[in-house]
Amino acid sequence: MTAKAVQISGQQFDLDPRRIVRAVSRALPEPVRDHYVVIEGRRYPPKQVIALATGLDRADFTTHQARRILRRLGFTAARRGTQPTPSAGAAPRRPAADPVERLRPHIGEWVAVKDDDVLVAADTPATVLAWLAQHDQTADSMFRVPETEAAAGGAAPA
Amino acid sequence: MRFPFRHLPAAGGGQLTPRPTLDVWLEGIDAVPLASLLDTGALRTRFSRDLATAAGIEPDEDLAETFALGGAIVTGAPARVLLRIGAGDDSYAWEAPVWFCDPWPFGFQLLGLEGFLQHFRVTLSAYHEWLDCKPEQ
Repeated sequence: MTAKAVQISGQQFDLDPRRIVRAVSRALPEPVRDHYVVIEGRRYPPKQVIALATGLDRADFTTHQARRILRRLGFTAARRGTQPTPSAGAAPRRPAADPVERLRPHIGEWVAVKDDDVLVAADTPATVLAWLAQHDQTADSMFRVPETEAAAGGAAPA
Repeated sequence: MRFPFRHLPAAGGGQLTPRPTLDVWLEGIDAVPLASLLDTGALRTRFSRDLATAAGIEPDEDLAETFALGGAIVTGAPARVLLRIGAGDDSYAWEAPVWFCDPWPFGFQLLGLEGFLQHFRVTLSAYHEWLDCKPEQ
């Protein structure tokens, strides 16, 4: 997909999906209060994504602006508790309403889960716990999503 | 206290076999309990060493052992810790020896005979995908 010229807070930016993915690649998603977009299988608040991609202060634009821009770039946007709506150009994909499907993008990662939503996913439990503390969040369960039957098993040999 | 089996995605598509797990609170980690597998064939209760570090628990290195676990050679050291489980309005806490191991090849922490099964009467229905834990005392 080619870059799209967007104007935010009086400034012009050329944004494309790769730039968005790159911008969020080193950031853990912040807690989703209401709206979110799905990037590489993770749910991000739209304002966090646009702030990371543009360097703008979050006070310079609204959630709806951020959401509209990201949908135009092909990312799925939704609200908590509703079915994600793929963008017009997005390939059809299996709905992620099923809690198992919500875990699928995080196979091999440590996750904290609350109400069947993945709050945060990271490479280490320490990172997950630090995120929970930083954002004053609690969760229902923490584990590493197993890659194999063996990793989901016990100590005894099969 | 009844706990449903946990459903998990398989890397190649579909799902792994649902597992009998329950969420266990470890002293020192207040934000989230740890999904733990009921491991009826295991003598000991074993957790990832990373969790001891996160919880500020210092295992007894004088008692450390190296052994094979889940296809990996790991080193584990024990600590007596406070654990708690809960379901609905019920909860139960107990003190248990937990072996904290590194590296940790599993997705879940492992609840074995010592540290878990000696404290509970467990009923398990794989058909209905639940397990019940009733404290023995």
